[in-house]
Amino acid sequence: MRIATLAAAVAVIVCAMGLVAVERPKPKTHTVIIEGMRFQPESLTVARGDTIVWVNKDMFPHTATSEGGRFDSQSIQAEKSWTFTAGKKGEFAYTCTFHPTMKAVLYVK
Amino acid sequence: MKTAAVTVAVAGVFLLPVAGPSAQGVNDAQIASTVVTANQVDIDAGRLAASRSTNGEVKTFARLMVTDHTGVNKSATDLAAKLKVTPQDNPTSQSLKADGDKNLAHLKTLKGTAFDKAYIDHEVAYHQQVIDALDRTLIPGATNEELKALLVKVRPAFVAHLEHAKRLQASAAPKG
Repeated sequence: MRIATLAAAVAVIVCAMGLVAVERPKPKTHTVIIEGMRFQPESLTVARGDTIVWVNKDMFPHTATSEGGRFDSQSIQAEKSWTFTAGKKGEFAYTCTFHPTMKAVLYVK
Repeated sequence: MKTAAVTVAVAGVFLLPVAGPSAQGVNDAQIASTVVTANQVDIDAGRLAASRSTNGEVKTFARLMVTDHTGVNKSATDLAAKLKVTPQDNPTSQSLKADGDKNLAHLKTLKGTAFDKAYIDHEVAYHQQVIDALDRTLIPGATNEELKALLVKVRPAFVAHLEHAKRLQASAAPKG
């Protein structure tokens, strides 16, 4: 009987740990491909703590620079990448400072 | 860079026959030569403008042209080497080169706003000319899939450069 009670208690604790794990998902990594003078996807929604990797697949440098100064990759050379961890909620429109026709937006929830 | 490209070109002659001409009347070797020449012409004009222009926006644009077209040319020569394609002179590449030389000679006679205007006007015309060539001859004419993919991938850069040059052209135009 005591063993059964103990087993049940352990089971409850294990379940509770599982719930905690579900409530706090691990940060994810998202990828934005820069190719053909475009950010793909042009609109991306992430959670706070998530990481975004911009990969430059074009043949020349680009930047990922938010308009409000929240983030700025500086020059990302061809075939290189830049990583940013989203720390603050908000809507961040960004561009490539070299090629201002390139526009995209990052939403941090 | 030039020496490497020539070495690759010479080596390539003995390795693979050049692909025959497509319906557009150009083969991949001629397309490769046209692409490399088109980029080189704009790099040369960009270098001159970056050093000679006194306008900050024009200088920034000129430096961008040097950086972007140098990057495209590196990819193009790397691909030609990988495919063992020998860039082959042809009427289009010769015409681009002749026009580029003429433009440089003209620009060297100018200073100040006259220089900026002539440089930007030529950049607008040049980028439009290359986009037309990409659409009418180069992309439909390329038989190798990787070469075709490179041309498709580079087209948006020429479009963005054209828009950028047109914006500078409009901002420099007399108001009213």
